[in-house]
Amino acid sequence: MKPVKFSTFLFTMLVGLTFQLYPWSNTGIIIRPDFLLVIMIYWLLQAPYHCNIGWVWFAGLLVDLSTGSLLGQHALTFAVTAFLGLIYQRRLVLFNRWQLYLYVIFLFGAQRALILLLKLFAGGELPDWTYGLPVISDLILWQCMIIWFGELTRPKKL
Amino acid sequence: MLKGIHQQLDPQESPAFFIQGPKPFSRLMFFCTLSLVMMAVDARFDYLSQVRQWFSTALHPLEVLASAPNEWGRNINTYFTSHNQLIQDNFKLKQQALIDHAALQRLATVDAENVHLRTLLAGDLPIIPQATLGEVLHMGRDPFSNIITLNRGSRHDITPGQAVVDEQGVVGQITRVYPFTSEVTLITDKKLSIPIQIERNQLRAIAFGEGKRNTLDIPYLPTSVDIKVGDKLVTSGIDGVYPAGLAVAVVTQIKQSQDSPFAKIISRPIAGVNNHKHVLILKMPDTPAMNQASENRPVLPRNNAQHLDQSVVEVLQKNNAAVDPHPATETPVLDAAPASPDSGAAATPDNTPATPEHP
Repeated sequence: MKPVKFSTFLFTMLVGLTFQLYPWSNTGIIIRPDFLLVIMIYWLLQAPYHCNIGWVWFAGLLVDLSTGSLLGQHALTFAVTAFLGLIYQRRLVLFNRWQLYLYVIFLFGAQRALILLLKLFAGGELPDWTYGLPVISDLILWQCMIIWFGELTRPKKL
Repeated sequence: MLKGIHQQLDPQESPAFFIQGPKPFSRLMFFCTLSLVMMAVDARFDYLSQVRQWFSTALHPLEVLASAPNEWGRNINTYFTSHNQLIQDNFKLKQQALIDHAALQRLATVDAENVHLRTLLAGDLPIIPQATLGEVLHMGRDPFSNIITLNRGSRHDITPGQAVVDEQGVVGQITRVYPFTSEVTLITDKKLSIPIQIERNQLRAIAFGEGKRNTLDIPYLPTSVDIKVGDKLVTSGIDGVYPAGLAVAVVTQIKQSQDSPFAKIISRPIAGVNNHKHVLILKMPDTPAMNQASENRPVLPRNNAQHLDQSVVEVLQKNNAAVDPHPATETPVLDAAPASPDSGAAATPDNTPATPEHP
């Protein structure tokens, strides 16, 4: 696993932000992955020397600003998700592919649950089941990140 | 030797195997606190709106870049619109224009008559809002809130609180303005309420958005109230935000339960709240613009016909000037186009019955 350049990290973040800003239509928004979250969590686990909780928090802040929601909402959930991700960061090499999938599904689901919780506290109403769908597209995006930037788990023969 | 070194070093100072600065947990605590403080400040005070403005301006190029593919797609689509389609559209539009012109002629006459009567009674002139054409950029990135973003912002003199309508009725209200864009909260949003009137019997009420269900709720009306399924709800205009007489919703369901003194009235928005590309942003004049004309001569002698005619002509000219240039492609800012032919027509009868009770 080659070390990743800092510029690569920043560039993917910018691309993620652009996709976040893309004008999604009504149906698109149901399955839209959380681009920035996936990208940042990937770098957090893959290149902890570039990306730490602070960066993930900052990405969350960008999401807040771009959605026009309460400032700090996404930032908080992103930071908590990053922390949850870091707990097992050093053990990830021992995970096999499916364990890793389960783990990231847990992370993305946790972020969505936290946002839901915050929105409910703020007087929102319970969304329907499609609220959970983006976790699947998150996973697809996660797989794309793995294909482009390398596996997190160690290859079998080592 | 080894043991000695081990003893000398604190666990904190021992050479870290993984370099990661402060412990993740302390980072988490720090950023959690920071975001909680920000949430509190953002919810309670207004300090952070400037930050939003800066950010929005800085992000504008990226936003343009992000929406470029959509733009190209639309352009390509327009380019390949078939000849047949264009002819059909042209035909339809011409017919519509004919119908509209007839309605507008009637409107002009009725308007003039209305002005005439109002000046006779020394009443206030009706408020004719200014309109700006806005294009919907996107439908909001947050699935929890019913917000759309328009391509007009504070650079185009948009201010929070302006009403947004489409050709059928009220869409919502501008709630946040950035330099180049603005956010419209739809009438179906839970946070928005809109003063309405039942068109049939002029009964006033307030309609509240119901969030994701794309309906409006009219609470606090007694079960005995005279309201039917199919009744049209229009803006009452008493809030100073929405001009009177714009269509809002149609009553779709009335539930009367035994244990509640209030009826549960559900209505469906008339405007295509979720599906349109262009909307009009209405600006209510701070001081009703046309009152200046009447302020010059507050009391008009009843038989000063010539004087009156002059004012009527002025109004007519104003209206015609506002209505005639209708290309709407090159000049997005219309001067004072009436929001829709039927709502404009509805606005006038709404105002007239109020005045005779005055003297």
